[in-house]
Amino acid sequence: MGAVLVDKDDQYVLNHCTRFLARDSTDSRHNFGQYEPEDLRAVVCEAWRFPVVDSHYDGVSAESSYAYNDVTFVYDGRVSRPESVEVVGSFGDLFAPVPLRSVRFIGEDTGLHTVTLRVPKAQLHTYKFAVDGRYQLDPVNPQRSVADNGQPWSRFFTDACQMPLVLSRREREVLGRLVTHLLPFRLAENRRSIQKAYDELDHAARGEEFPLAYRLDEEVGVVNYIDKVLARPEQHNADDYHACLAIIDGLLRTRNNGIDPLQLPIEDYAQLYAEMATDQVEGWDTSSYGSPRYFLLLLRRHAMTGAFVHPKAGGNSGAAGWSYLEGRFTDEQGQTLFDWRRALEVPLGHNTDYRG
Amino acid sequence: MADEEVDVVVIGSGAGGAPLTSVLISAGRQVLILEKGPLLRTQYQAPDGVSDFKRDETFATGSEKRITIPGMANLGDSFYSSHVEPDLNDEPHVYEGDDGLDRATIEGYTAQVVGGGTQLYGGVSLRFTPDDFRLASFNDGRTDLRDDPAGDVRREARDWPISYDELEPYYCKAEDLVGINGTRDGQLKPASEEHYQTPLEPNPISAYAAAGMDALGMRRYRTPLAVITADHAPSGRTIPADRDSIKTAFVNRYGDPLGLKSNTWVSLLSPLVGKPGFELRANCVVTHLEGDGATVTRVHYRDPTGAARSVKAKTVVVACSAIESARLLLLSGQLDPAFAQRANPNGLVGAYFLTHCFGGGQCVVPLPGRADKSKTLDSDWATDHCATPEFLNANGLWAGGAIYNNTSDGALPISLARTWQAADMDNMWKGYLSDTELVGAGFEKYLEHNFGRRLSVAFMANQVPQRGNRIELHPTVRDKWNRPVAYIRKTWHSHDRALMRTFADQCREILVRGGEVSDVSSGSVEGSVVRIANHVLGGARFGTDPQDSVLDKDCRVWGLDNLYVTDGAFMPTSGGANPTLTIQANSFRVGEILLGR
Repeated sequence: MGAVLVDKDDQYVLNHCTRFLARDSTDSRHNFGQYEPEDLRAVVCEAWRFPVVDSHYDGVSAESSYAYNDVTFVYDGRVSRPESVEVVGSFGDLFAPVPLRSVRFIGEDTGLHTVTLRVPKAQLHTYKFAVDGRYQLDPVNPQRSVADNGQPWSRFFTDACQMPLVLSRREREVLGRLVTHLLPFRLAENRRSIQKAYDELDHAARGEEFPLAYRLDEEVGVVNYIDKVLARPEQHNADDYHACLAIIDGLLRTRNNGIDPLQLPIEDYAQLYAEMATDQVEGWDTSSYGSPRYFLLLLRRHAMTGAFVHPKAGGNSGAAGWSYLEGRFTDEQGQTLFDWRRALEVPLGHNTDYRG
Repeated sequence: MADEEVDVVVIGSGAGGAPLTSVLISAGRQVLILEKGPLLRTQYQAPDGVSDFKRDETFATGSEKRITIPGMANLGDSFYSSHVEPDLNDEPHVYEGDDGLDRATIEGYTAQVVGGGTQLYGGVSLRFTPDDFRLASFNDGRTDLRDDPAGDVRREARDWPISYDELEPYYCKAEDLVGINGTRDGQLKPASEEHYQTPLEPNPISAYAAAGMDALGMRRYRTPLAVITADHAPSGRTIPADRDSIKTAFVNRYGDPLGLKSNTWVSLLSPLVGKPGFELRANCVVTHLEGDGATVTRVHYRDPTGAARSVKAKTVVVACSAIESARLLLLSGQLDPAFAQRANPNGLVGAYFLTHCFGGGQCVVPLPGRADKSKTLDSDWATDHCATPEFLNANGLWAGGAIYNNTSDGALPISLARTWQAADMDNMWKGYLSDTELVGAGFEKYLEHNFGRRLSVAFMANQVPQRGNRIELHPTVRDKWNRPVAYIRKTWHSHDRALMRTFADQCREILVRGGEVSDVSSGSVEGSVVRIANHVLGGARFGTDPQDSVLDKDCRVWGLDNLYVTDGAFMPTSGGANPTLTIQANSFRVGEILLGR
């Protein structure tokens, strides 16, 4: 199937561009460590927002729209003023080029070019722009990937993407153990309540109510959320995870006479957590990462967010975090005291007015 | 493109700019609004059927960014802003801390979006009391004011050049056209017309606040909120079939994808779309005004791609929130000394900057009282008890304030965590993160004790005007347009501190008397010079004496024939309540004045 185009008006495109792109200053105001010193993307505010990944609405229902995102590509030709801009990527037929149109403001050409495509959720894609016939990477989007033939491509992923992007398998497994200690879901009683909520759904309902529940485990998708946050808005925190997870992995192995840390009981992670909270960790390699407490606080923010965030961000898998609260807190009649479904779009929630 | 000329240019589309625009367009005049932020539409307005506002906790408080502004004492600190608040590294506000060091802050910005601060606010739409308009007269001859050894309070108190009665018809108009629900009985603020829509059932947790107010003999009323609870004919908005579904915790700090919150875009401006003479240009930031003698001739702005443009105007209205309005006048004066001489002959532009004395109390309600706080609007009950002359005289205070309970705070799991012991927007997340005991079973205990059980009561009261509290241009820090940024200099007066302690105690008493509550705490912003609550007021106050004010009674700059300021900057005192409704009412008033030009 070819790429499905979606109409977005110029107002929409400008709404998602001005704040980030328009400026006189050429200072690297937005480099928090994720860029090399001369990288032009550090001049742009929140460069990670490009291409724009937004909700899709098919004009019929939120339910039938739920499986898709709208992805809006923007090419900034304010200086170069190209004649034609196309986007080619893994989302279309055989990388068939899709032309971008000009964006206008009060009847005048702005130099911005755009196109919006409907792309299924939970996907990962690569693309390039063809600018007057010459292929180039998206100069704004910080996400890049390298193809098997060594060629660099620009990359984006849609909502609820479950494919690992930043953290290695080993890193994800160590991180999963740490997160399991941080969150309440580890307690046997609570774990049962989440599993019960999920088990009570028949197979069809699982697909309908939790279409994005690819995995439901004790960390409720937090590790995947962290992976996605590090891939997009908080790229600057990725090195912290790489450095600290390596230290933790090695440190636990050393402490336990070479036993694989993944085989250790959760208490070992709890002990480590307590030491990290004091910033004094026996055996921590401070030459490769100075403050274990700093990393712990970073992890605490990501874990809390990832457990209760809208599932489109990749955490709160199958809305397990919300379902936990829903079942955990009830009144004397057994009615829930966290009826999250009433505000949120179907099929995730029950609200038929709000479309997500 | 050809040199443009329009009748009226309005800078800013929020509470100060939108009402007068609606008056002018309805009378057949021509208005061009220049708005710095984007035009984020509701579902029913958006061509693609989805809103740019979402029910998503990461929209209110975004991902981590870090301050990179050289010279700031908080260089390298994390910050988390909403999707429509300015990026701190691109457009910071800088304030001078108690330690004399400069820091960048999110505090004091409203929102950069069509509708301005009314897109993100909780919607509390209280009137000021009649005495709020006459605090010089009210305090004349008093000798009982606490903690005012130098007599500053009586010296600096000002009567407004208009009375409550003069503004009252415009309060009615604002309540009608904006779309507000609430109840009147028990208010200290008389109304000549009734336009309130019927409030929704209060959240059950508010019963504790109501009981506390009753026990203290405080007359209470349902907090007027700018959220429609019935179809609203003036703006053509309709409500969902399930009226109760209007209540969601995505209220304060969230734009409303359904357009039920009565921001100025959905209530006042979108009904003008397509009418002759109305044009709104979003994503356009005004850089400076150009004058010729006693006339402002031209407004210079950057279009959505950053290209410099200008437009000629017969009349110019500045309404881009008080700090930015003062800054725009100062920046224009910096480029043209003759403009500065006209607009700011006495150095009063930016001076007498005001926020509010505010604070409150918090508690945990007993277990049977745990409520579903996600079914809520921003506030349920309010009282004017602490604005009566009897209360002020009994407590030696110069001015009063409103007290109301909050219901949407901490209603959702992430917001409960990120506001945990966070004193201000700059300290979002810090309390929860550093409370490392909240882990595993400790986290479970935290949820059990707090989720759906935290209740807070807030006060909003007048701040003493001080000339030294002011907005300046920062000497070194520049925004992304290479313009000097706003520099906030402010302190609290000793009388402010006394007032805040008195009010915080009242809030505490309400909670203590409300039931078997625990973990009661209370406090105020007296220990923090930066806390602003986004109530940015003053800096271009109006008055009857050109030597003592920036604007005349009509909100026109004294030295310029065709320049008006209509956001909160016009206020000579900050009023004892959230300011938005008063800004809107005054903008309706100025709109009628402009019809006479």
